[in-house]
Amino acid sequence: MMMPDEGSESVGFNPGEVIIEHVSNSSIDHPIFELPTVLGINFSVTKHVLMLWIVAVLLFVLITWSTRKYLKQDRPIPTGFMNGLEAVVQFIRDSIVLPNVGKKFVNTWTPLILTFFFFIVTANAFGLIPMFEVLGAVDRFILHTDHESIINRVLHGGATATGNYNVTAALALITFLAIIVAGTKAHGFIQHWKNVVPSGLAWPVYIILIPIELMGMLVKPFALTMRLAANMMGGHIAILAILSFVFIFSEMFQSVLAGVGVGLVVSLPLVVGVSALEIIIVLVQAYVFTLLTAVFIGMAINVHH
Amino acid sequence: MSGQRDHFLAKSLESLQENIRRSGPAATASYTLVGAVLLLGGIGYLLDQWLMTSPWFLLGGLLLGMVVGFYEIAKAVWKR
Repeated sequence: MMMPDEGSESVGFNPGEVIIEHVSNSSIDHPIFELPTVLGINFSVTKHVLMLWIVAVLLFVLITWSTRKYLKQDRPIPTGFMNGLEAVVQFIRDSIVLPNVGKKFVNTWTPLILTFFFFIVTANAFGLIPMFEVLGAVDRFILHTDHESIINRVLHGGATATGNYNVTAALALITFLAIIVAGTKAHGFIQHWKNVVPSGLAWPVYIILIPIELMGMLVKPFALTMRLAANMMGGHIAILAILSFVFIFSEMFQSVLAGVGVGLVVSLPLVVGVSALEIIIVLVQAYVFTLLTAVFIGMAINVHH
Repeated sequence: MSGQRDHFLAKSLESLQENIRRSGPAATASYTLVGAVLLLGGIGYLLDQWLMTSPWFLLGGLLLGMVVGFYEIAKAVWKR
């Protein structure tokens, strides 16, 4: 249905190319902000890095500011934003971290898991807000900046930082290290690695079991990486694919009216539906990532063999 | 009336928390199964590309992925 145009010489609308350009990161050769190369790593800011920075700065400022304000007031009743924040924090601590990690370590691991949740949910949600597109429209009709301006360089469509495998891989790497730290803190370094395999089995079993368990250890963060990134990317691809009907039909019938008609009758209602679904997915995926992190950390602490 | 509604909400939230708590291991096992097949199959595919031995490493990786994935599921199922 949504195959790119056959033959690369065609100059018409190519939905495949457009969709990939929208969901993938912008090229490092044309960064949004140029930064120096340190130790062979190019630190220039691309679309997804910009989104990461925006999310990180916003979260840091908003949460630190509201928590400080709450701590300074005389009565211990939160109001406004802090009220919602407290409800979320309490929900995560009491129904995600506590049942999995246990009473002893709940305060050790709640901060990490809360950070994960707020970061992922905000990054996911920011991908749904078409801020760059709005900026582009403003630029096109009001500002008229030139082709090389920052506005035109950031304009590669909306970007979900968590739709990039590198971002989710970094998050999953933190989970992976947290699992090892949690096990080491609870049982000591050597005992943690002994806990990886069940004890008290005949020695030939261990020849098979140890590699399987070690692979299982690597698979868990990998599953976290793929699930979050694929889900975030998938929703955007679906929305863009449905929207590209407008251009496909305009081209097919050589008439803008056909495209707009299909857009109004088919694409728009479908996109509204998918977007509503996306709002749920934004929450569910952030929630699943935090839940699984808590479960994995809990498995390293409360060993059942 | 409002007391009744509060009670209903509190009960719903409690039941949601309980379901979440119990769904943890199941979610872990299912994601691990898919992840294991994808990861080890992918490594096998890359090895095949590198060593020109298609399709043996891919097949081996997929099989190994199934073994690891099902082992994790078995662990989740027979825990209690």
